[in-house]
Amino acid sequence: MLAKLYLLYGFMVLGGIGTAQYRGWSLDHINQIKNVPRSIRDNPGAYRSIYSSYHHYTGGK
Amino acid sequence: MSAGQPPFPPQPPRPPQPPGPPAAPAKPQVKALNCPQCGAAITLRSFQQAVTVVCESCHSILDAKDPNLTVLQQFKAATNELRPMIPLGTRGKLRGTDYEVIGFQRRSIFSEGERYDWHEYLLFNPYKGFRYLSEYQGHWNDISVCKVEPTLTHSLVDHAGYLGESYRHFQTAEATTGFVLGEFPWQVRVGDAAVVMDFVKPPHLLSYEKDKNSGEVTWSVGEYLYGKEIWQAFKLQGQPPEPVGVFENQPAPSTVNLKQVWGAFALFCVGLLCVLLMSDLFSSNKEVFTASYQLASGAPKGEASFVTDIFELKGRESNVEVETEANVSNNWIYLNYALINQDSGRAWDFGREVSYYSGRDSDGNWTEGSRKDKVIVPSVPPGHYYLRIEPEGDSGHPAIGYTVSVRRDVPVFGFFGWGLLILFVPVAFLTFKAISFERSRWAESDHPILKTEND
Amino acid sequence: MTQPAANCPNCGAKITFQWPSSVQTVCTYCKSIIVRSDVDVKKVGQVADLPPDSSPIQLNTEGVYKNKAFVVAGRILYEYDQGGWNEWHIVMNDGSSAWLSDAQDEFAVSFPAKVTPQSLPTAAQVQVDQQYTWNGETYIVTAITIAHYKGVEGELPFQYWDKTDVKFADCRTHSGKFATLDYSDEQPTLYLGEFVEFDDLKFKNLRQFEGW
Repeated sequence: MLAKLYLLYGFMVLGGIGTAQYRGWSLDHINQIKNVPRSIRDNPGAYRSIYSSYHHYTGGK
Repeated sequence: MSAGQPPFPPQPPRPPQPPGPPAAPAKPQVKALNCPQCGAAITLRSFQQAVTVVCESCHSILDAKDPNLTVLQQFKAATNELRPMIPLGTRGKLRGTDYEVIGFQRRSIFSEGERYDWHEYLLFNPYKGFRYLSEYQGHWNDISVCKVEPTLTHSLVDHAGYLGESYRHFQTAEATTGFVLGEFPWQVRVGDAAVVMDFVKPPHLLSYEKDKNSGEVTWSVGEYLYGKEIWQAFKLQGQPPEPVGVFENQPAPSTVNLKQVWGAFALFCVGLLCVLLMSDLFSSNKEVFTASYQLASGAPKGEASFVTDIFELKGRESNVEVETEANVSNNWIYLNYALINQDSGRAWDFGREVSYYSGRDSDGNWTEGSRKDKVIVPSVPPGHYYLRIEPEGDSGHPAIGYTVSVRRDVPVFGFFGWGLLILFVPVAFLTFKAISFERSRWAESDHPILKTEND
Repeated sequence: MTQPAANCPNCGAKITFQWPSSVQTVCTYCKSIIVRSDVDVKKVGQVADLPPDSSPIQLNTEGVYKNKAFVVAGRILYEYDQGGWNEWHIVMNDGSSAWLSDAQDEFAVSFPAKVTPQSLPTAAQVQVDQQYTWNGETYIVTAITIAHYKGVEGELPFQYWDKTDVKFADCRTHSGKFATLDYSDEQPTLYLGEFVEFDDLKFKNLRQFEGW
């Protein structure tokens, strides 16, 4: 009985992975912003991004 | 005497009259007798088959074939001796046949200074004969004498063959009879000893027994039963005793069929491989945009942001890969990216750093970082897109040239590792459970799976 | 020999031989052992009351062996130091005789084997653990029993009464086959057969036991 459950489980996993591959999902998360106006093309500086205030520095040795 | 009458002719001898037809033989009856030692009533339940019978009151072992019930042995029972769990005279249905409990024994083996007791119940049916039930720490077995002699093979571990099946040797020990009640179709005395060899193929058990006195050998075969089944068969009150540990022929929990599960796992590995190959084959992996820029030297915050030309992402909703390549040396460049859909206004916002350092120290040459960076933007619908880029550099950095490339529908493999893991975890868990069950089973045998510190 | 009814030479009661293969029977009224020849019937001995035993089979019990129906016609009762057993004479529906042995409710059906007595071991030669090959199967001698003949009942296919101790050699194969070397007479006889389960014999008209 457990073997049948596992079979179902495995097919679900495979199905999930297949769908993920097909739809281009990823484990990483990229922030999304909605409603960016077309005027940004003329004035890129007006775009407010999440990252603009967040400065990521790793530096070397 | 009257004259003139001829004498009667002599009659032929008449055969003697037969006696009336014999009465039909009386139905065999359960015999009721009295113990010669203490006078208590003795019941014989097996219709002439009993050879030995025990008085329940004074524990005299009597000769059942002797009309005087001569006393053969007498034993003292400990005052806290347990009564049989299935009382003598109880009837129950096993394998579709009614049996009556007519005899009971406690037998023991000694192992490493410890005494291990088990109980045997002798069952009787006048048509089907005898069977036994054995009970040890809550584990039950339904046993009958083998009609066919098993074969013994001596390889690394002794095996016994019976009716085409191979049984593994579990244990050899000497069993002693410590307590007897009821009646038996053979000679029984307290103190009887026998060499016993057990062979197992769960749920079956093959047992060899050689009586130390008579040298007589008996093979019997048993099938594991749960206490619940015994209580149901004999309609006993209360609950059966909880089983302790794993018994030698106790079947592994039936819900797990390891072979099938591992087979399914192998199937899924092949499946994963197929999905992987298909993703690789069907990913168009098309470069839709590439351009090179330069970050001028100097200012800490670098240049103002700018937007790229518009490029089209075709096909189904899929991922986008943005690759940044910069010729940094002991320096870094940071790019704030936004992938913007011109029509829907949806934007994906992310920042990437490209840094590369190298030098030389006491261990030799070293490098850190990379001149290339790739990032995957997932689930981007088709449409017209552009990138808004805002580069940054270190204070006082030299001019840095960099190239930005965008590829559509690239194959990614991150899910496969996780997929393999989550497929493997249940299999590993079930296998571990099965292995530890078998370890428990063999722990008490002559062949434990792993030697422990107690050996 | 479809002998019509005759009369017991001892008590005059009616004797019938139900089975054509029967040579001997026991008068149910006076327990005389009657033997018949082509011409007449003769009393040759007397049988004592059989000791009570616990076989579930009785005369006229019916059963089936290998799809052939049979009826229990007679028996020979033996005892030895460990107990006793019955050899029931059964007549198959084709008229042939066979033996159903019943020892502590362990049943076996066997047929007389046609082998020359010279090819069989003598009573002095036979030992436990010896191996013999009959009909292509290997039999191992598992037990040698000295039995006391206790009595006869019903019809038998040969003459058999008042035996003193009789030697039997039990032989078994690993496949459930069973053979007996019977040393009742000067010439040993071999019976070949197999163990059978009670249920497979589909008995009818068994003996009744009180409380069962």
